[in-house]
Order: sequence, then C-alpha cells, then structure tokens
Amino acid sequence: MSSKRKPTNTLIILVFIVFLLLVPVFLKSSYWLHVLSIVGINVILVASVHTIWCTGELSLGTAGFMAMGAYSSALFVMRGELSVWGAVPLGGLLCAIVAVALGYPFMRAKGIYFSILTLLTGEIFRLTAWYYRSLTGGPLGLSGIPSPEPIKIPGIALITFDSKISYYYLILVVVLLSLLILFRLQKSQVGFTWRTIRERDNLAASVGINVLWYKIFAFAVGCFFIGIAGALFAHFMHLLAADASGKFGMFTSIYILIYMVVGGEKKFAGPVIGAIILTLLPEVFRPMQEYRPIVFGALVIFIIFFMPQGIVDLPYRFLSWGRKIIGP
Amino acid sequence: MTYHIVFCHGAERSLDPKEGTLAKVLIKEVNRVDIGSVPVLQIGDLTKYFGGLGAVVDLDLNVYQGEIMGLIGPNGAGKSTVLNMIAGTLSPSKGKLIFKGEDITNLPPHRMAKKGIARVFQSNTLFENVSVITNVRVGLHLHTKIGFLGGFFGSSYTHGREKLLYEEAMEILRFIGLSDQRDQLAINLPHGSQRALCLAVAMAVKPNLLLLDEPLTGMDAEEVNVMISLIKALRDERGITSIIVEHNMRAVMGLCNRIAILNYGSKIAEGAPTEISENPAVIEAYLGAEQDVA
Amino acid sequence: MFEISSVVFLQSILNGLVLGWIYILMALGMSLILSITNILQFSHGEVYMLGAYVAYYFSVVLGLNFFAAILISVMLMAVLGLVLERFFFRRLRAEFLSSMIVALGLMITIQSGVTLGFGINPKAIPSFAPGSIGILGTRIGSDRIIAVGISVVLTLLLFLFLKRSKYGLALTAAPQHREACILLGISPDHMSALAMAIGSALAAVGGALMGSTLVLNTFMGSTALLKGLIIVVLGGMGSLLGVVVGGLILGLVDGVVLVVFGPVAASVAPLLLVVVILVVKPMGLFGHEF
Repeated sequence: MSSKRKPTNTLIILVFIVFLLLVPVFLKSSYWLHVLSIVGINVILVASVHTIWCTGELSLGTAGFMAMGAYSSALFVMRGELSVWGAVPLGGLLCAIVAVALGYPFMRAKGIYFSILTLLTGEIFRLTAWYYRSLTGGPLGLSGIPSPEPIKIPGIALITFDSKISYYYLILVVVLLSLLILFRLQKSQVGFTWRTIRERDNLAASVGINVLWYKIFAFAVGCFFIGIAGALFAHFMHLLAADASGKFGMFTSIYILIYMVVGGEKKFAGPVIGAIILTLLPEVFRPMQEYRPIVFGALVIFIIFFMPQGIVDLPYRFLSWGRKIIGP
Repeated sequence: MTYHIVFCHGAERSLDPKEGTLAKVLIKEVNRVDIGSVPVLQIGDLTKYFGGLGAVVDLDLNVYQGEIMGLIGPNGAGKSTVLNMIAGTLSPSKGKLIFKGEDITNLPPHRMAKKGIARVFQSNTLFENVSVITNVRVGLHLHTKIGFLGGFFGSSYTHGREKLLYEEAMEILRFIGLSDQRDQLAINLPHGSQRALCLAVAMAVKPNLLLLDEPLTGMDAEEVNVMISLIKALRDERGITSIIVEHNMRAVMGLCNRIAILNYGSKIAEGAPTEISENPAVIEAYLGAEQDVA
Repeated sequence: MFEISSVVFLQSILNGLVLGWIYILMALGMSLILSITNILQFSHGEVYMLGAYVAYYFSVVLGLNFFAAILISVMLMAVLGLVLERFFFRRLRAEFLSSMIVALGLMITIQSGVTLGFGINPKAIPSFAPGSIGILGTRIGSDRIIAVGISVVLTLLLFLFLKRSKYGLALTAAPQHREACILLGISPDHMSALAMAIGSALAAVGGALMGSTLVLNTFMGSTALLKGLIIVVLGGMGSLLGVVVGGLILGLVDGVVLVVFGPVAASVAPLLLVVVILVVKPMGLFGHEF
C-alpha cells in the first residue's frame, strides 16, 4: 500500500471532477453534451458489471436489466403517477430484487454457464419489452417520458430539466455518487471478501465465508445501479423503443464487457476510463461510419494483446519506461 | 493410556444398494476403554454413493477430544470422501455426523467452519497472489467482528479491529514458523512452507476439529518433521482434535493416537498404531504395498 | 390457436428439425472448442456466416458447383480456425477474460468486414436440389432433406472419429489426462488446433447449408451464435450427445411453438426452456464436470 501515491491519485481525481464540472461552460454544443451524458450512463453500467466481476461472475445481461430499469421507471411515472425522483431509485430497486430472485438458482451454475444464463435472461427481458404491447408499447415503445421534476432550492434557484446542460449535471452527479458508493464497497471488507471468493471459492467457503450470499449481494448491487442507469436513460431520452437490437440487445452487454476489460479490470478506474474512451472514440470516427466497427474490433484485439492490463495501465507503463531511460 | 481396540472379520459388501443386504461387520471387542470424554465427532452409518458405486459404506467411527485420528487405506478406499463429507463439501447419501452433540450432517462448508471444523485441502489451496499474512487474515473471517456498515465507512473502530486481526494473524504465523515470511507472496513460497501456510489459514478459523487431507505429500524428511511437530503442538498446546488422511506410514505411526483403516469404503480396523500393525486383515489389505512415500 | 391440423403440426416439427440439425453442426463445434480450449468462442457464429458467404461467392459469383463450393469453404474455414487458434487464442489460453474479449473483437471485425465486402442486403444461394418430397401430407424441400442427411452423416463421422482415432480419443480425454497425451505425441496445442479446425469446418458446412436452404445475411452469425449457446448449455458441458439432443429439442420447440403459439412465444420459449432446465440441472441435460 504505497501511501505516497494516494494523495497524487486523489488530486488527479479532484482536478478531473472540477474539469468535468466546467465542461458546459466551454462546450455549448448540445450534441456533445448529449454524448457526454451517454458516456456517463455507460460509466455507471461498466462500474456495475465490474462490481459483479469482483466475485468472479461475469454478467452479460446488462442490457436486459437496463431495459427493466428504464421501462419500470417510465411506467412508474406515466402510469403510477410517481415523481421521477422516486421512480428512478424504485426502478433500480426492482432490478435488485429480480437479481436476488434469479441469483439463487443461477449461481448454482458454473462460471461460464452463469454468464450465458444472464445473456439469455437479458434477451428474455428485451423480448418481453418488444412483445408485451400493453405494458411497454411494443416496438413503438413509450414516448413522452417526462423529465425529472424541477428542484426548488428556496430563495436561491429553481433547477429545471429542460436543457442538455441540466441533464449533463444531473447525470454527472449521479455518476459521481454511484462511483463513490461502488468504490467504497469494493475497498471495504465486503469487497475484500468478494475478491477472495473470486480467487479461490472453495478455500473461502472453508474459512466460513457464505459464498452464495456474497455473490448474490454483488449481483444485486450491480443490477441496482444498472437499473438506475437505465432509468436515467429513459428520462433523458424521453423515448424508449425496444427496437430489434439497438440499445437493449446482446451487443450492448457485450460492448460494456469490452469497455471493462479494455479499460483494465484490475483497477477501479480502469472500466471507467474504458467506458469514457471507447464511447467517445466512435464519435471521433463518425465521418467514416461504415469502417467504425472494424476499427473498433481491431483496436480491441490490439489492446488486449499489447496492453493486457488495459488502458488504465498506460501511465504506469510510461512511468516505468521513463525511469528506465532517466535512470535510477 | 488405554486404547479402544476392535477387530473386524470377514467384511463382505454388495455394490448394489438396492439389494438391501450388506454383510454386517462382526465386531469383537477385546479391550474397551474410553479416552476419557464424550466423542467430539460421531460418525454413524456414513454412506456415499456415486452413481452405483459405494465410495463409503456404513462407516461408524468416533473421534475423541484431543486425539489425532489417522485415516489410512489404499488409494480409492474412500478416505477423502469421508473428509469431504465431514467438511460439508459433499452430502452423505445416508448416515449421520454429530459434532459436539449437534447434528451437522448436511451443512455446507461455511456452516461447518462456523461450528468449528476447519480443513486443509489435498493440494496447496491458497490465495496465491497475496501475501502470507493476508492469507491468514482471510482465515480470520469468522472472527472479524467488523459490521457491514463499519467495513463500508472505515471508522476508527474498524481500524482498531484491523490492527488486532493483524496481530492475531502474526501470532498464528509465529506458531507456524512463517512470521518472517509474512509479506512474501504465497505463490513464491517453497512447497513445504505453502503446506504450512495452509495449516495456518485453517488455524485462523479457530477450530475444535481439524481435517487434514494428505498434509505431508511432496515434502522432504525435514519438512515432514516440522509439520508433524506442528500438528502435535496443536493437540498438546491448543487441544485441537485432528483427523488426518495420509499415505506416509512412518509419519502416521508416529503421530496418531489412533488409526482407522478403510478399504473399499468400509472400515476394516481401528485402534492404536501398534495394534494395527499386527492386525491380519490390515496386513492382507496392504499386502506387498509398502506405502512409505516420504 | 389450437385448431391446427395434424399436417400443419407435423410440418412445423419437420421444419424445426431441419433447422435444428443445421444448428447442431454449429453447436458441435462450439462445444468441442469450449471443452478443449475453455474459451467461449464468440466469433464462431461469424465463422459460420463466413462459411456461408464463401460458399455463396464460389457457387453464385464464380459459378462453381455448389458442393465444390462447400468443400472449398470448409477447407478455408478450417484454415481460418487454425489461424485463429495459433495467432489469437493460443497465448491467451489461461486468461478467461482476455480470450473472451478477443473472440468478441474478432466477432465484431469479421461481421463488419463481411458487411463491407458483400453489402447489407440478404443473399440467396439457389437450391441445389429443386423440388420437394411429400411425407404424410407435408411437403419438405428436397434440399432440406439432403441438408439434414449431410448433417447427420457429419455428426456420425465426428462421433466415430472421437471414439476410434488416436486424436479423437485425446480430444475427449478428461483434463487431468490431457497433459499425458503428450506421451502419445499429441500436445495440448495440437488438440486446441484440431478442435478449432474441426469446429470451424463444421460451422462452414452449417452456414453453407443454411445459406442454400434459407437465406444469407450478415446477421446470421449472431442468430446462430445464440442458438449455439442455447444448445450447448442445454446439452451440457462436455457432452456431444447432449448437443445433438439439445439441438433437436431446440428445433422442435422453435418449429412447434411458432406454429401453435405464434412468433411471440417462439422467440421467448427456447430461452425460458434453457433457463428452467439449467435451474433444475445446473450442468445441463447431459453435462459432467469436464
């Protein structure tokens, strides 16, 4: 535990946060604020999958749970007359409960089988949204999903959510909060126990660790935040259409996984960085739209081979090269 | 000291449970004396079938407080299966396990640990990429006493507990003799030290009963002696009862208070080392197979 | 909804079984590769798709005989399998996550590459056996019957190979004994390469058959991958018999549920089936530890 590293890390993070807070001051483009908001949602998704991965289980049902969070929150508001501020956490909670219910039977299956099960379950959720017309509007989906109600800070201001800027800040705050919670969890005694389970679950069980409980807990926490991200997405886009693949399909779950590993799964910041860079990258390549997937795929393979620890490892690599050149 | 001696004659067994009849084992008791207390573990009618194959059949065995019980037998006799059932990794097909008066028959491994049963696995099962002391720290899981929220927020109480746990882990390492290796990565230790570390992790559970699955494999003579003295010290200084599955006969003879011998899933003899070595059934089972694997 | 004639019912069963057999070819490869290399070969679906497009190219564009085209496709895909194993998967064999991501990256790359090369419009290979045969009032295209025949024969050949030949036995050996196969002159690397080559070849045949009996498009790989995953998981780990049974069950469910309950249920039913079976039998229908 190099305590001399820690202040530098905290400093970097603080600077970064200040930078993020100031972005809308310089960046007025509505389009880019939209993109950044999507980046934020992806960050929550990746951090959640990473948390579940702490126990050694890979959930590939992200898109499905995201859909569940999105639709349930939208429906709570539109049919259930709830406030958005109540519906979003409730959507997350619903996902967590479903995760616990599914966790008990699913976790009995061996590693890869669990992943495939989650993939199939995600597909089931998506197809339910696609076909259950009376509930979800089917292929046409739900439109006119309301924005969050304005926040009134007495005497100071009224924050309304009618512009990309306000959404940007809202999502930023939620992202920072979520990351804080997930980070503290991963670093806590609970997170430590998760990682012992990932490393050797039979040894963990033999010293008294209730492996099943810890795995389900991680799964539930992850799905909670995935649901929140989905709910935010719904109220941000104002429209949910369960189109054939698109946002809630298998590919999204796969992309989130790629963001996590390419970013670097050994550190908490890795998946976050992976999500940011790999969500922004296709935007840079927008002019050559048709070549994007090929470039993306090739890039992913390249990074895995030459930077197996992920993008987050880059600064440390530079540092060690630099030390070799400069000398001891 | 007095010993419980049992001779078993003509144990015949059928492979098909559906046929119902298993030739009973005739028990002729010659001398019967208690070791002085109620058995810490009572195994009754313990049976495990894998498909149609009886790996362990109708095992009756008592293990008494403070003894080291050896479980030996040819390969495939069912010894590891018995250990797995006691540890909770496998569920018995039939039979009962009573630990300190409590029925623990179908409990999963983490519950067994909570009851006070710890195990050392057959191969070196460790958290390889973390330090020696962290390995032991994990073993202290049941005694952490850091509440869920406490772990999350990191209060001064938590830090205090962490320090105490660190001290406890060090104490265990000192006992085992690995205290100067505490920051070494587990995977970098030589084989014998890794085995000792496995024992340290099991000790951290603070068990009453220790299950050791072939703890001496792959060790040279010196490492064997160290391990033997450790297990003896656990019995003498801390009153920990042990069941040890081993192939190293010399070690078993020198270490165990009593030995039970399994063959084809059934117990064919039980008693003190000296009596066992003169038992005709035992000699027959081991005919020609000297199992000294030091 | 339930007033369907027995002929229609039978027709749906037969249609489903035809599709099932083609997917079995794909799933056999996936299961073999999974048990030998421990890698979930996500790009296997794209190999299947590529096999179809190569067959299309050689038969439709270049005008060769269809069966010759399949043969060429099989050889090319087998080589591709070897290349993938040697250069992409071999060094990542121990790394579960990394190998999965590489497979996913390959999947994305191959799929988009083929889309770029052939365009997004579906293609078709003209039927190699025009006409149809009547069975108990139903009609099945002759090409479909031949496709099933080819699939069954290939499956049997695979089983024979695995049970009789030295290489085959090595492939089905338990993991503990795999290192020992070096004594037979077969290293784990050889086995991985063999598994990939065989698997990819089978996928190529499957893709070509699907392309000629149904249609080719660049998404067929993803569809087939999902079907393959369902079959492998249904059938169980390490069991090729399980793959066949699982594939037949999937085919039946796909065919029958579609006709009896409609497209809604048809897309969800197989998934639900797998989930339920796995909950009851966590290792799949025929699965075992290795």
